[in-house]
Amino acid sequence: MRKIYIHPLPVRIWHWLNALGILLLILTGLQIRYAGLFDVMTFRDAVVLHNWVGFFVGANFLLWLFFYFFSNKISVYQPELSPSKYFPAMYRQAYFYAWGILHGERNPFRVTPEKKFNPMQAMTYQIVMLVMLPLQFYTGVLLWDSVGFAGQIEMFGGLRVISTVHMLLTIAFIGFLMTHLYLVTLGHTFGAHTKGMITGYEEVDDEPVAKTDAPDVR
Amino acid sequence: MNTPSPASRPWNWLLAGVLALLISAPMLALAQDEDAEDEIELAEEDLACLECHDDPKLSTKLESGETLSLHISTEAFLGSMHNENSCTDCHYEIDIEDHGQGQSTITSKRELGVSMGDSCRDCHKKKYREYDDSVHALLIAQGNEKAPMCADCHNPHTVTSWELAEPEAAMPCGKCHEAIFEASAKDVHGLAQADKDSKAPVCSGCHQAHGVKAASLGSGIRDTCLDCHEDAAEKHKVWLPNSERHFEAISCPVCHAPTAERRVNLRLYEGTGKDQKQMLEKTGVPQFVKSARAADADGTGLGDRELLSLLKEFTEEAGESKTVVRGRLEVTSGVQAHQLAAKSEAISDCKLCHQSGAEPFQTVVLSMAGPDGRPLRHEVRSEVLNSLFSIDAVKGFYVLGSTRIKLFDYLLLLVVAGMAAGLLVHIVARWLFRRAREKAEAKLRERDGK
Repeated sequence: MRKIYIHPLPVRIWHWLNALGILLLILTGLQIRYAGLFDVMTFRDAVVLHNWVGFFVGANFLLWLFFYFFSNKISVYQPELSPSKYFPAMYRQAYFYAWGILHGERNPFRVTPEKKFNPMQAMTYQIVMLVMLPLQFYTGVLLWDSVGFAGQIEMFGGLRVISTVHMLLTIAFIGFLMTHLYLVTLGHTFGAHTKGMITGYEEVDDEPVAKTDAPDVR
Repeated sequence: MNTPSPASRPWNWLLAGVLALLISAPMLALAQDEDAEDEIELAEEDLACLECHDDPKLSTKLESGETLSLHISTEAFLGSMHNENSCTDCHYEIDIEDHGQGQSTITSKRELGVSMGDSCRDCHKKKYREYDDSVHALLIAQGNEKAPMCADCHNPHTVTSWELAEPEAAMPCGKCHEAIFEASAKDVHGLAQADKDSKAPVCSGCHQAHGVKAASLGSGIRDTCLDCHEDAAEKHKVWLPNSERHFEAISCPVCHAPTAERRVNLRLYEGTGKDQKQMLEKTGVPQFVKSARAADADGTGLGDRELLSLLKEFTEEAGESKTVVRGRLEVTSGVQAHQLAAKSEAISDCKLCHQSGAEPFQTVVLSMAGPDGRPLRHEVRSEVLNSLFSIDAVKGFYVLGSTRIKLFDYLLLLVVAGMAAGLLVHIVARWLFRRAREKAEAKLRERDGK
């Protein structure tokens, strides 16, 4: 095992602020939608907190965007544009989590500072960061001031369309968060990846990446 | 020594009398001048009219069977705002030659009121224009027999300025709107009127005396509330998130009449953007009532799909402009709108509305403006607000918590339960395969060692 520096400090700060923000948004959002079913805080406090945290996560998103645009780290998000390469690689990764991991096979993906996401992660994070988060922020802003943005709301088909998109994205975020939290525990120890996101160092096998029993689809 | 008292000297009295005359003479002269200015002298022909008409017993029997009093009190007329008018200014149709000779041509008091309206219009043009646009005038145009005309509120022979009238009690509105009138006398505005210096409004203060409109149409009388309560919008902004939206979609009594019953009013609009306007039923074409009844076949209120197809029908008939509904929260009756409480008693608990099953969302109506200026309504089933179809049918009305689409609650539950189950299966599988995994890992390590 050797340690390599994967997560630079700005990324780690951004990650934990984002994690806290998204968690608070989900909890206050559920409190807003299900007031009366459970009342951890008043409806009004939940709305006010949700609005503030929403803008905070929006600002934090810009921090992330600028960091990656103005550093050479953008490569970690560089998509694999060739389907003939991307899909087999993603299949191998999915196969590993569904079968290989149960049978002691080695992870087909080896993390490096330049390529720190496996194919499934790369796809998921791009969807989360470039589609879901901006869209959730935008619909949230429209709902925050539905009079000021009445024109845009009408253009998209009304308040109900906006709130439906916001809710469906929330469900997707909850699904993402549950999967993310589980997969984080699948490092070589239970807390290895979490520790990595705190210290910045990930522990990587010295051994070469093993060939899996996955059928070669190429 | 005895000194005579001043009062016992006759010249002293004389001197005092002369002095008093000298001082008071100019004042008396001035007072006489003022009286002369205020005094209205009736013309000879008016005096001739009053010679007969200032008789409390003078009356005539109308075709309708009503008895019309023909008594005009000279004293009351002189004290009225019309005291400088001559009788024939208004009663110009009267022919002095045969007046009072034969049977009256007036058929009823109502008909007299309608015919005399033109006389009022001659002088009170501006007020009449306002009145022409009012719900009262529209009702009369639709043949309503009770809606008030000028003389129902203003007796032309005794009319004085409203500024001299006692507040509220002198308002004629109570003649027809009795229940509202009584409720209003007991609410925060009515009670405040006991204080003479209070600026609490009488009926016309909020509803306009002549241009009165149905309060449940348009933006209602919210703007009138804000005319006096100037800082209300700013004050609400301090504590109420999205306060502008609340001001737009909720009528003031919903929160400020805490004992009132509330409902959702889905109001029909046509057009988009700034051109959007509330739909108005055309005179003589009872489309709304007919179509709504046809769509609501079982008479239990419009369901989600029924509402959607009704909107499509209106859109098709309207041509290019799309028919949409805009929701508004309001109290269920005019009486309840006049049960306004003190500010400290107003509702500020968000949960009145923002939770599942909230009371205001249990009653829902669809409405449009009727040709007589009053709203036409048809019942809508409350579950429409929580239906998936509401995304299109009720697109402009969404209240956090209470009008949420139930299907998404189940979807959320499904995703969370599905994910949890999937992850649990993975955890169990990892535990079941732990021995095979350990063996395989040992084998790999052995191979790497070689």
